[in-house]
Amino acid sequence: MNEIIKTQKLCKTFSNGGVQQHVLRNIDLSIYEGDFTVIMGASGAGKSTLLYALSGMDKPTLGEVTFAGKNITKGTPDDLAVFRRKNCGFVFQQTYLVDSMSVLDNVLAAALLIEKNKKTAGAKAREVLKSVDIDENLWNKFPTQLSGGEAQRVGIARALINEPKLVFADEPTGALNSTTGKDVLDVLTKANDNGQSIVMVTHDITSARRGNRILYVKDGEIAGECDLGKYVSGDKERHLKLRDFLGGMGW
Amino acid sequence: MTKEKMLAKSHFRKNKGSSIGIFCLMLLASMLLSLAMILFTDTYPTAAKEAERLDGGDGMMYVSSETLKVDDAYLSDLLLGAEKYELEKALYYPLLSLPFGSSEMDNSVKVCRMGSMMEKTMARTEIAEEDASINGDYIYLPYQFKTSGGMHVGDDYHISISGENYDLKVKGFLNTVYGGCNNSGLYEICVSDEVYEKMLSKIGVAGESSFVVFELQDDVKMGEFRIRVLNQLKTDDPLANVSLQPVSMYLGSRTFMSLIIAGSFLAVTMLVVIVIILMIVNSISNYVKENMKTIGALKAIGYTSRNIKGSVLMMFLTLALIASVIGIAVSYLLAPTISSLVIAQMGVPYSVSFSLIATIVAFATVVLLTVLVTLLSLRKIKKIEPIVALREGVESHNFKANRIKLDKSVFGLDASLSLKTMLHNKRQNIITFFVAGFMVFICVIALLMFENFNRNPNLSLMIPEICDGVVTFDKDTWEEGFEFLSSQKGVENIRRYREDSIYVGQEDSLYLMVYEDPTQKSNKDVCYKGRLAQHENEVNVSGKFAKQNGYKIGDEITLNLGGREYTYLITGFIQSLNNDGHEAIMSEAAAAHILDLESMPTSFLFDTETDEQIDPILDACEEKFGEKMVVRMNMVKSIEASMITFKGISTLMLVTMCLISALVILLVLFLLIRSLVFSKRKDYGIYKAIGYTSKSLILQTAASFMPTIILSVILFSVVSYFIANPYMQFIMISFGLMKCTFAIPIPGIVIVGFAMILLSFAFAVLQARRVRKIEPYQMLIAE
Repeated sequence: MNEIIKTQKLCKTFSNGGVQQHVLRNIDLSIYEGDFTVIMGASGAGKSTLLYALSGMDKPTLGEVTFAGKNITKGTPDDLAVFRRKNCGFVFQQTYLVDSMSVLDNVLAAALLIEKNKKTAGAKAREVLKSVDIDENLWNKFPTQLSGGEAQRVGIARALINEPKLVFADEPTGALNSTTGKDVLDVLTKANDNGQSIVMVTHDITSARRGNRILYVKDGEIAGECDLGKYVSGDKERHLKLRDFLGGMGW
Repeated sequence: MTKEKMLAKSHFRKNKGSSIGIFCLMLLASMLLSLAMILFTDTYPTAAKEAERLDGGDGMMYVSSETLKVDDAYLSDLLLGAEKYELEKALYYPLLSLPFGSSEMDNSVKVCRMGSMMEKTMARTEIAEEDASINGDYIYLPYQFKTSGGMHVGDDYHISISGENYDLKVKGFLNTVYGGCNNSGLYEICVSDEVYEKMLSKIGVAGESSFVVFELQDDVKMGEFRIRVLNQLKTDDPLANVSLQPVSMYLGSRTFMSLIIAGSFLAVTMLVVIVIILMIVNSISNYVKENMKTIGALKAIGYTSRNIKGSVLMMFLTLALIASVIGIAVSYLLAPTISSLVIAQMGVPYSVSFSLIATIVAFATVVLLTVLVTLLSLRKIKKIEPIVALREGVESHNFKANRIKLDKSVFGLDASLSLKTMLHNKRQNIITFFVAGFMVFICVIALLMFENFNRNPNLSLMIPEICDGVVTFDKDTWEEGFEFLSSQKGVENIRRYREDSIYVGQEDSLYLMVYEDPTQKSNKDVCYKGRLAQHENEVNVSGKFAKQNGYKIGDEITLNLGGREYTYLITGFIQSLNNDGHEAIMSEAAAAHILDLESMPTSFLFDTETDEQIDPILDACEEKFGEKMVVRMNMVKSIEASMITFKGISTLMLVTMCLISALVILLVLFLLIRSLVFSKRKDYGIYKAIGYTSKSLILQTAASFMPTIILSVILFSVVSYFIANPYMQFIMISFGLMKCTFAIPIPGIVIVGFAMILLSFAFAVLQARRVRKIEPYQMLIAE
């Protein structure tokens, strides 16, 4: 499989009042095209920090991240913004939709960065919204008028609209109940089935089962890795394998 | 109290940027208020205070007569009702051209001998500045020649009187009550004894004139006294050149220009202060909004609304107290410069003194307004539930329409998002609209002043009739003089003019200006209500006089002089800034009822094709008629000399107001954009996360204010064009200027408008650069 992201000696250190906290320590990692990679770990292990460092949202303290062979750690903030708009989609736990814009405009705000033709962008946005089961009657509503699950699905639509090479999802079901959480995971799984690469951070074992590759982060290092294979709904062995892996990691 | 103090400190630390912005606005407001008040309470009354300090008495009379012997014996009978008086002999020239700055000033001049001048006990003359080492042929000039004319001690000074040249050196400058300002109609100068003797030997048979300063007994009315004395003098010598004016007339004439300048300054300052107060209100309100979460947290841990209110109030009160004190201190530092320009025309030595009223008004206005506005803005704190505050007032419902749909908008993506931001920040944009608008109006007023006091002086405001030159011939020569003047090349639009004092009953008098036909005057604006007098039974009187005596248009008024009286119909009111607002205009036909026009000196006001033709024409008249031509005046030069101060002031005003406007817009945009970026920091983080660059977001933010600013500039430019004159009139009416139609330069407004739009955009971009500091990752993990 093709490497889409590769890190070398990736370090991230936060300094707070003179006290240095090493959150990521010399991580060498590859993310492959078409994978549904799940990053797990205990709270404060550094999984979200790793996700944002991989996506160019945050700059590592040391080491480098290459995306499709290109070093992205040396870019300016604006270079990274352009990189993100072309290559990445983001799904956040808190959804982070722009409250002052309608559902459709939230998706279009991302689409129009790439597709300059408004008609084409509009049609595409509607299509993506339909694909994540957002009814047409919601398109002109504002994010504060949506349920948590609806808002998260709009967030996924926004992340997918530009058909990015990679979608980063940070605890996408963290703020949802189990039913709506499952809907969101279904959308992500469907995207992955369609060839979309996904990197997801979660501490929820049910969500993690959707991935084919599980990375376990402990004290800022990749402590272990598990290959689950392609997700199949209702596969009990898969669940046991993951449970054993996590057990071995001290989960 | 300790709790509140601790919280207040914490508020300040957390909101340094906006606190400093609000502090600057408070400082600017207190400084401008204090400065405007100093001008009115300390600077402007200087001339009156000086008149009292120099024992100026109640009035001054001069008599120039070939036959009358004006001495103590004569005066003791003539000045019945005077508590005391003092007689001084000096030379009197009805009209003399004195070099003034780079031009010349034509005025009546009293020339004193050094020795006698310093011995006076009433209306004392003081030396304001001198170089005692200068000897020989020297001259002391009125202090106005320094303040307004820009002359210095030690300058060479050349004057020519009746063909005789005097090469003098300026030894010093004088501070006088009656002869210090061109507007008062008399200059008092002092020369060395040798020069004085030489002048005396050339002055002719009249010799020295008599100048008498007097103080009236308490029960004597000035009007009655004046009429009786002047009538007696006319009886004793009908050909005598006499004048008697109360000190109030001299002071009024001396100070009216300063009053106009101070008034204009106040007019502009008031607008700036309104804008600043508007901004303080908005900033405090934004402060509460931005700190909602902190308020919630404080309430959650047990602070009462009262504690929180007290701490916020303490912070703003402290800011207001410090800003007011510094603002007032800065105003006293700036006051000497501003004041020196305002009183330059008065020609009075002045140093700024502490004005309790100015200080209290500026201090109290800023502090009390801050307290009031803070308390009003903080009322909502009581109603805020901790949980709602912690959620920063999250709405569960939103019924707003989704304006500027991105897929249907005719604008580009950035422009569409800018418009969305604009519509989402209605309140900020409304404030920007009015702030930019007020600033446009202020600049238009400053432009108006620059245009009318500097570029193209609006003379109709200051003088009753506009012309290029004036010649006055004696009673036997005026017909021949007129023929000669008419034959001169370049002379056009000759108007016959005479003047005298006439009386209303036995108490009041009016300075009468007689035109062949007043309706043919160039300056028709002088009549601000009704119409100019035209027929033989019509008169115009000044508005101030009419108001004082209850006259209305259509009323009859009986005027008298030398035993003749006639009743006239008042057809209109004229504005007059001179002669204490006691002036009248009528036609020759009307004046003939009470004046013997044929036996009066007659003036001819004329225009010329070019300004260069004026002096040769005046020279030719003087050469032809010699002493029979009693007055010659190059009005263009005189006006140029008297406008020097105004040019400086109007330029300063334009520059200052443009700077203040720029500063206010900068502060306003600083506070608004800071608040906008703060409240939208999450959105900016999201935008950045999905791929928007800082550059694009900065432009979006800056551009979101531009439609409002552009609309405001255009609208207020048009509105200002129409309301600038009524506004100025509203201000000036209290100063006696009843009608003022100022020219408003449209190209100037267009330039100012463009400059303001470009400057605002530049400021907005600069302020919006703080978006760069928002890192999407930091914003996301902050939740």
